[in-house]
Amino acid sequence: MVRMGKNDHAAVQAALAGDKDAYGALVKLHGASLFRVAFRITGNESDADDVVQDAFLRGYQKLDSFESRSSFGTWICRIAVRCALDRIGGRKKTEGSRVAEADDPQQAEVQVADATAGPERRLLSGEIAALQEQALRSLSPMEQAAFVLRHLEDCSTEEIAAALGIAPGAARQAVFRAVQKMRGRLAILRVTP
Amino acid sequence: MKHLNEEELIEHYYKADASSAKHLARCAECAQAYAALQSDLAALQFPAPPARDVAYGEQVWASISSSLLRYEPHKKSWLHGGLWRGLSYASSGALLLACAFYAGRIWEHKQPQTTVAANSAPVQQMAVPPAPPSPPQPQPATPQPRQLVVVVLGDHLDRSEQLLVELKHADASNAELISPLRDEARSLLSANRLCRRKARNSDDPALAAALDRLDSLLTELANQKEELDAAAITRLQDEMNADGLLFEVRVLRSRIPDPPPGSRHFKGGTI
Repeated sequence: MVRMGKNDHAAVQAALAGDKDAYGALVKLHGASLFRVAFRITGNESDADDVVQDAFLRGYQKLDSFESRSSFGTWICRIAVRCALDRIGGRKKTEGSRVAEADDPQQAEVQVADATAGPERRLLSGEIAALQEQALRSLSPMEQAAFVLRHLEDCSTEEIAAALGIAPGAARQAVFRAVQKMRGRLAILRVTP
Repeated sequence: MKHLNEEELIEHYYKADASSAKHLARCAECAQAYAALQSDLAALQFPAPPARDVAYGEQVWASISSSLLRYEPHKKSWLHGGLWRGLSYASSGALLLACAFYAGRIWEHKQPQTTVAANSAPVQQMAVPPAPPSPPQPQPATPQPRQLVVVVLGDHLDRSEQLLVELKHADASNAELISPLRDEARSLLSANRLCRRKARNSDDPALAAALDRLDSLLTELANQKEELDAAAITRLQDEMNADGLLFEVRVLRSRIPDPPPGSRHFKGGTI
């Protein structure tokens, strides 16, 4: 997650006072880290670029509602996560039938059959990564974002809750469900002695 | 021993907890489950995000800066700041003043033994020095300001008691001693009517009845001719039952505490 910068508050105040370039400094400072989070959630480079631009645009429009007690990095990351969730949510609607396949027991058999093509094939890291990616994308947008923030960005439960705009308990539950589902779907990769 | 559930194991994986660690050290079953979880989560390998450097932020800024409108600096308008704030203070002050005034009025009305009368002819007669009945005076063209007179019932009963005592022991042969009784009765008459009205309003039937009888006596005494003879005195004493009325006035007076020492007394009342 994007961390707090010391001069962020001063830059925000300057931008609100009419200095647009001060906001530019914030974009340059937080752009790369925001892209990383956006890419983790969307899984797509071009989508992540769009999410970053969209997040900074929305952030500028809502800059007067930014409260100084929180850090700008956390605040803009929250907006980016929202943008990313909107994007993958819309994408999953259009790919609804494909997403449904993952929970379909009959289709699961097909996947298992595909995965059990042979131990040699399973060990191929490329395919493993593809399966993991598929398992991640089969999660709900909220679970996906919670898992990415927890597992890949090393955010605390409170930070996840703030980024997703939910209660800490709900954030913890989202992480738990995501891990549970991921383990279930990747159980076929488990090497049993 | 209560085993750790999957949620607790996941929580412990991401944020090590002392109590969970202690349990895992002692419980082989949970330790095995936790090892499986560790293995599964450690095996998760997602593709690293494409690298983005500081130039990336500049690119993003270059792409969005043209569509951003410059914020106007906040100007503290006197219209939005000073005027509205001043108006809110003024309205709050006016509200407080009105509340204080209303509370004062209620407090004043709840004071015991105090009668407030305003702009009434009998009260004006009581407040001014006693004078013989005279034909009605023509009213002035401009309205008189309301006159506020506070009459203390205790004072009135004191004076009535004194009058009744003097009436009881009146010597009909001495005309000079009789005339002041009539004048005093005329003076007490208006105050008595005021007190009687107050007693009726305050739902005190005993006091109202006593003041009714006192009113009859005072009216009879005030309307006597210039020459108040012995027969008239005797008739008043007998017919009006002056002794009984005197006793009643004394009883009523004993129910009323004396006014505070700081009160300003005048003839006919206390302010």
